[in-house]
Formats: sequence, C-alpha cells, structure tokens
Amino acid sequence: MVEREITVLTDVALITCIVQKGMADTIVRASREAGAQGATVYYAQGSGVRERLGLLGVAIEVEKEVINIVVATNQVDRLVEVIYLAGQLDKPGRGFLYVTPLEKAATYIPPDILERLSARAEQQ
Amino acid sequence: MARKIPFADYTEQVAIKHRRLSFNDAAKIWSSSDRKIQIRPGDVYHILQPYITPRFLEQFKAVVPLALYLVLFQLLFLRQGIEGSWAVTGGLLAVILGLMLFMEGLKLGLMPLGGSMGESLPTHSPLAIVLGVVFLLGIGVTFAEPAIGALKTAGSIVSPERTPLLFDLLNRHSQTLVLIVGMGVGLAAVLGTLRFVYNWSLKPLIYASVLPCLVLTGYAHFDEQRADIIGLAWDSGAVTTGPVTVPLVLALGIGVARAVGRGSSSLSGFGIVTLASLFPISGVLLLGLFVEPVSTPLGHAAEARWFELSPVNELLAALRAIVPLVLFLLLVMKFIVKKQIRHRGLIAYGVLLCVLGLGVFNLGLSYGLAELGNQSGGVLPAAFAQVRAVPTSPIYHYSLGILIVVFFAWFLGFGATLAEPALNALGLTVETLTNGAFPKRLLMWAVAFGVACGIALGVVKLIYALPLSYFLIPGYLILVLLTVFSTEEFVNVAWDSAGVTTGPITVPLVLAMGLGLGETVLAREGFGVLALASLFPIGSVLTCGLYIRWRTARSQEVFVHG
Repeated sequence: MVEREITVLTDVALITCIVQKGMADTIVRASREAGAQGATVYYAQGSGVRERLGLLGVAIEVEKEVINIVVATNQVDRLVEVIYLAGQLDKPGRGFLYVTPLEKAATYIPPDILERLSARAEQQ
Repeated sequence: MARKIPFADYTEQVAIKHRRLSFNDAAKIWSSSDRKIQIRPGDVYHILQPYITPRFLEQFKAVVPLALYLVLFQLLFLRQGIEGSWAVTGGLLAVILGLMLFMEGLKLGLMPLGGSMGESLPTHSPLAIVLGVVFLLGIGVTFAEPAIGALKTAGSIVSPERTPLLFDLLNRHSQTLVLIVGMGVGLAAVLGTLRFVYNWSLKPLIYASVLPCLVLTGYAHFDEQRADIIGLAWDSGAVTTGPVTVPLVLALGIGVARAVGRGSSSLSGFGIVTLASLFPISGVLLLGLFVEPVSTPLGHAAEARWFELSPVNELLAALRAIVPLVLFLLLVMKFIVKKQIRHRGLIAYGVLLCVLGLGVFNLGLSYGLAELGNQSGGVLPAAFAQVRAVPTSPIYHYSLGILIVVFFAWFLGFGATLAEPALNALGLTVETLTNGAFPKRLLMWAVAFGVACGIALGVVKLIYALPLSYFLIPGYLILVLLTVFSTEEFVNVAWDSAGVTTGPITVPLVLAMGLGLGETVLAREGFGVLALASLFPIGSVLTCGLYIRWRTARSQEVFVHG
C-alpha cells in the first residue's frame, strides 16, 4: 500500500478583490505576472458606491466579480500594490480589496519543489 | 526570473506611498456627515469611462467592419467613392451611439418591467387575461423594434410610379402596416405561449402558418398590382424578430410555462421567433388585398412642417414607439398584477435611454446605414452594366461583373451573420441541447452559409427581375418536407435560426442595398433579399440536422454489429 502524505502550507494569506463585472481578467493577469500562482473568480452582486453617487450611480454595475488569490505572506504587499494599480482602485467606484490571514492551506505541490526544499534543509 | 522593466516603471512601483488610516476614525466621520460622496469633475470621467467604453465598442464592432466592407469593395472593385462621406460617417456614428443607448435602456428599463411582469402576471391572473396581455405586448414590442424603422426608411426609396401599391403601403399606410405586423407578432406570441402550456409540437403549427402564406403568395403572384408586395410581406417577417421582441415576449412566455408547472424544458423559448416571423407575412399579404392603390399625386411631400423635419421627427417617432409600450407595461403592473414597481428611478432612466437611443438610431438609419446600403446597391450594377452614375461602366466583362457582384453579396451575408451576437448564443444553446452532437461551430457556419446563399440569390433575383414567388413557394415546400422528416429539436432550432440572424444593423443595410440595386437595374421593386436570407438557413440547418441524425444512427449500427 502506498503511504499517503499531506503537505500543509503555512505562511499563506488570502487577497480578495471585488471589482465591477468584466475587470477580473485584467486583475488576474496582472497578479499572475507579479507572481501569484492562480486565482478563483466568482460573480456577485454588490452595493455601496452606487447608492451614494446619486445620478452617476447608474454607471456602476451591480454585478461584481470577486477574485480570490492565495499567496505567500512575503508576496502580500507586492500583490496588493499590483492589484490596487491594475484595478485602479484609487478611482471612485472601481472596487475594493482586503487581505485575510490564513492559518493553513493544502494543495498539490510539484515533487521537484518538495525535493529541493528537503535538500536545502539537509544542507543546513 | 530575470525580466527587464523600464526604470520609470520600477520607480513608480517602488515609490508608492502607503498611508494607514483607521477605519474606526473614518467610519465616525462618515456616519456623522452627509452620506453622499463628493465627486470632482475628474472623477466623473473615471466613473463614466469604464461604463461607456465597452458598450460603445460592442456596437462599434458590429457596425464598422460591415460598413468598411461595403466602402472598400466600392473603392477597390468599382472605383467609386462614397457620396457625402461625412454625412454617412456621421450617420454610422449615430447608429453606434443610438444602439448603445438603446440596448442599455432596454436592459435597465424595459427588461426589468417585462421580467417582473412575466414572473407575477401568470400566477395572479387566469390564462385568458394573460393571453390578452401577451397579444397586446406583441403589438407594442413591434412598434418599439429598431429595425422597423428600416421599413419606413425604405418607403422613401420606393418609386411611386412603378409600384403604386407598395408606395402606398409604405408611406400612406405605414402605421397600419406596422400594426398588422405587430398583430402577427402578437398572435404568434399567444400561440407560442399556448404551446408552452400544453406542450404542443411545433411542426403542425409550422404547417398551419406556412400554408396560408404560400396560398396568399400564389394568389398575389397572378395579380399584377399585388405581386409587388410579395417581397415586402416576406421581408417584414425577418424585420420583426429583433432585440426587443424576442426577450420581452419570451420572458412572459416562460413565466406562463413556469406558473402552470411545466417548468422550462430545454426547448421552451424556441418557436415563438419562428411563428413571429411567419404570421406577419400572411398579415401583410392580406392587408395588400384590401388596400386599393390610389394614383399618387406627385410632390405630395413638398412642404414639411417643423415637426416633420429631421431631428424632431426622429425623436417623436421614437417617443411614439416606446411610450405606448411602457405605458402598457405600467398599466398592467398597476391594475392587473397590482404590484409595486421597484427601482422606479432606474427604470425611468432606462426608458429615457431607450427613447433617446431609438431617436438617434433612426437618425443614423436614414443618413448612415440606409444611405450607405442604397449607394452601394446603386453602383453595384456598374460592375457588369452601363450605369449613369458611373461613367466608366461597365467596369468588367458582363459575366465577370455578375460573378463579382454575386460574390460580394455572398460574403456580405456570411460575414454579417457570423458577427451577429444572437447567433453565438443560439449556437451555445443548441450545443447543450444536443449534448454536443450539433456543435456550435457547425450551426453558426450552417446558418451563415444559408444567409450568404440567400442574399446572393436575392441579388441575382433583382438583377434578372425574377419573381420572388418562384423561389419562395418551392423553397418553403421543400422546407416543409424536410420538417416532416426532422426531429422536434432540430425543427425548433432550424426555424428559429432564420429569425435570429436579422439584427438591427443587417436588416437596414441589406434592405437598402436591395432597393438601391433594384432602382438601378430598373426592377419593379427591390424587396425580397431578406426573405431569401431567412429561407436558406432554415434549409441548411435542417439538412445538417438530418445528416447528423443519419451519421449517429449509422455509427450506432456499426457499434451494435461490430
């Protein structure tokens, strides 16, 4: 019988970014270029700026895209900047971003990375 | 991971100032002050830019390639510039702008009204009342359809001397004409809804609605005056099924089906488009039987009053098209459904956009699309015959010229159809419906191929002045025969595919091109191209369906024996 092993990642954080519908592609592309491994996008409806802008509120989509990106804690600051700039979050009505600390995460990790990590541990 | 980046980018990225702000502090100020956000003029641009850009581009992509194709063909093959090119460019811009506003208004104003009515009306009222509302809605949406304006624009191109009855119908009785078409759509919507409720098959309905069309066409064919309106009648069927009619009528139909517990089966939603493009044909032909052509005094439109002048007239027409529909929806909501309307401000904004958009679109229709199509149709014959406007004509040898013109028409139909977004959506539906046996690509190609052949044949028909009934009657008889042998799914898809392809850009362009061409080659009338463009895709899709069924049957046989 094959021994099964679970590798648990620590030092992970979740960046969640909520933008108007249609913007997710830009943000995912930018964050991948900046080193993010992947992203999950789902659709939602939101409110907030739309109600407070008065007449101009019609220009803001009710439908939003929520992008979840799990990153290493070292990457958080860099990616927050990249996403903030790519999504132009400094402009009104474009979106919202927050970072959640995560206790642990688990997924498939390529064996070569595991080998290199254990080799490095042995050297020390 | 060595990647070169410009130093300026690097400093920009590194030099971002981070400022920390406690949400506790911010929330305190926020809740104590006025909740409205103060915006600066620059912000208005930042808010509006992502709203407007994609919506503009969507229409831009639909209009510009087609227009460029026409212009380039004219320049390269016929060596003719566009007359009044600035007016045409302005008109095309108005078309893009108008469609953009109209579609947004439809999404925000009319669709929510129609959708909430579709949800609540069938559960609140007996079927008879619902059907009455469906019928009236069918008439209302026809008046609001942007492509209907193309029929009225066409009226100004038709010659009163050669075809008095056609001229009369399009100019003096144009409101009656649209009303008749609308009644056809209303009736179709009623039958389509009943079909949802009782799960009828589409086939008998098709037989029953094609038969009167063919009989009336045959009758009109032998009447010298009435033969002229055959083309108009069959074309009007293609005009009706546009971006307003289909979703609004469907919303109600599906609501009814859900209320009686049929749920939405995979096929619900199909069929109404088919019936809505067949019924108006009989209606218009019947109207033609009852209208007696009056000998038209020339120059009757000499004095235009101020409200008949250009921008005002178009806006008034848009108001007349949209307001009755909205009033009707509101009255139904208030007195029959008795439900409060939510988001009133937003809906009012949507309706305003619809009116504005339709007005601008109609303006662009006459100066942009119709003008371009008409010019291009007008100089097309210069490829093979002597045309007064083109001194060097005929440019090519007769048979080569004809060939060029036919190919031009073929590719026009092919490109315009593949670009139609509704076709893409239909393709996806069909692919899921048949579990991938009928791939989306195949459907799109089949429909585009059909439309292309239809338009090419339509041009040939105009050039040689062949009667339209020679194509329509045998054509539809073949379609009926194919329908008998096809399965219900393919019948639904195939007959609907014809209506899907004729959007608010293709219709005016092709209609005007046909009329311009007809004018130059001195055909009696230039209608009928659209009719043929709806005939052929039905045939090609049905044939594809039969072939796929035969192939799967054979492969299963092999599987069993092998």
